[in-house]
Amino acid sequence: MIELKNVTKYFRTNQGKRYILQNVSLTLPDGNIGILGRNGTGKSTLMRMLGRIDFPNEGKITSPNSFSWPLGLGGGFVGNMTGKANVKFVCGLYGKSYEETKEIITLVQDFAELGNYFEMPIKTYSSGMKGRLSFGLSLSFDFDYMLIDETLSVGDARFKVKAKEALLKKIENCHILLVSHDMNTLRELCQSGLLVHEGELEYYENIDDAIERYKEINKS
Amino acid sequence: MVLRKSSKIFLSVIKALFLRELNTRISIGKSGLFWTFFEPFFQIFIFISIRVAIVSNGSNSVTTFDYAIFMASGFIAFNMFKNILSGATGAFAANKALFNYKQVKPIDTIFGRLLLEVFLSSIIVLLFLFIGFLFGYNVEPQNIVMVFFAYVWILVFSFSIGLIVAIGNIFFVSIGKFVGMFSFALLIFSAVFFPINNIPPAVQEILLYNPLVHFMEMIHGYYIYELDDRFVDYQYMLYWTITPLFIGTWLYIKLEKRIISQ
Repeated sequence: MIELKNVTKYFRTNQGKRYILQNVSLTLPDGNIGILGRNGTGKSTLMRMLGRIDFPNEGKITSPNSFSWPLGLGGGFVGNMTGKANVKFVCGLYGKSYEETKEIITLVQDFAELGNYFEMPIKTYSSGMKGRLSFGLSLSFDFDYMLIDETLSVGDARFKVKAKEALLKKIENCHILLVSHDMNTLRELCQSGLLVHEGELEYYENIDDAIERYKEINKS
Repeated sequence: MVLRKSSKIFLSVIKALFLRELNTRISIGKSGLFWTFFEPFFQIFIFISIRVAIVSNGSNSVTTFDYAIFMASGFIAFNMFKNILSGATGAFAANKALFNYKQVKPIDTIFGRLLLEVFLSSIIVLLFLFIGFLFGYNVEPQNIVMVFFAYVWILVFSFSIGLIVAIGNIFFVSIGKFVGMFSFALLIFSAVFFPINNIPPAVQEILLYNPLVHFMEMIHGYYIYELDDRFVDYQYMLYWTITPLFIGTWLYIKLEKRIISQ
């Protein structure tokens, strides 16, 4: 459950404040929630705020649940550290013990299929390889909610299939907040939808209704 | 997932950040491990050598105490101050991507860099003590407890100034540039190269407004038998430590969320 209370979020631009949310109060029941909206309406910002790695300018967002970092995110990796060292670092952040860390390293290594590259500096990686590493890393941690920001398309065709399977298996035990423009992915992974539109937030219990409304907005 | 206690999270984050900072430096190339420790060591070593050479060749070479030890004891502390300040300046911007991990707070990144600096400085101190011992210098301080205390104090001082600069640098980039230029000038005006006693009284008065002069005099005074702390105003040092610490913490609490959102 995520509770929004009088939430206002804006960005200061040269043309004055640009509002993403204006005094929104809402309670989101647990579930897989897809976030929709046109480009630049603040979907990603909303997702980050729900996951409490960004903050509203006014109001409060509360939740008893734990949230992941945005999944598949390559940022935060140090270029001249090896893939393995970077995985170790994230384990350290989450206070994992030596055994747990070892386990996670094996998991990520198997999943990402980087071969020798796992022991080489991140700066030698291609962007696809980086994506695979961070995707594997995200899947190795347990959270109540996973935050996913349009990063389901990392790697080659074979890896995409594998990633999707792994993700489907993962969300049997946790919920997701998914930002996507791909209606099929949204239908497949989410039950309910959240639409960001002109500073308003509309919650739909059924993702199909949300998609319907989104198409309506796009027409006008 | 069980939510962990905040003190435990803090400790594991600091530890991970410290190891990461160290790893970042060590893994720069094949000789990364060597240069991580010896680059700062050589920098200080060269400075000290030049200064000592000038003193022993100059006309005013009538010093009653050992200049090498005078330089080393003060300059390592000054260098620590300078590095903590410059490290803190870029800490938020450089680690911005890490704020995606919810338990990493901006201030943790300053602590991480500060710890690394303390670690490197300790190694450098040990290296100098070892070399000094090897070449028959009298490296024993007059009052080891007070020297240690002075080092810890300058550490807290550096942190509080660094915190303010780090926050300022997020909103006004020029602050970071200014600090870079300023800290070089400070090297000359901080009584690192000379005891304040050797300076004309009129200039003394001006220099003593600089809190670093007091720190340097304190370290020199307690390290070297022939020198004392007659110019050190402990109250002034305390004001310079507590006021920035208070302002920095207050600003940080106010602005933490904005720093993460930036």
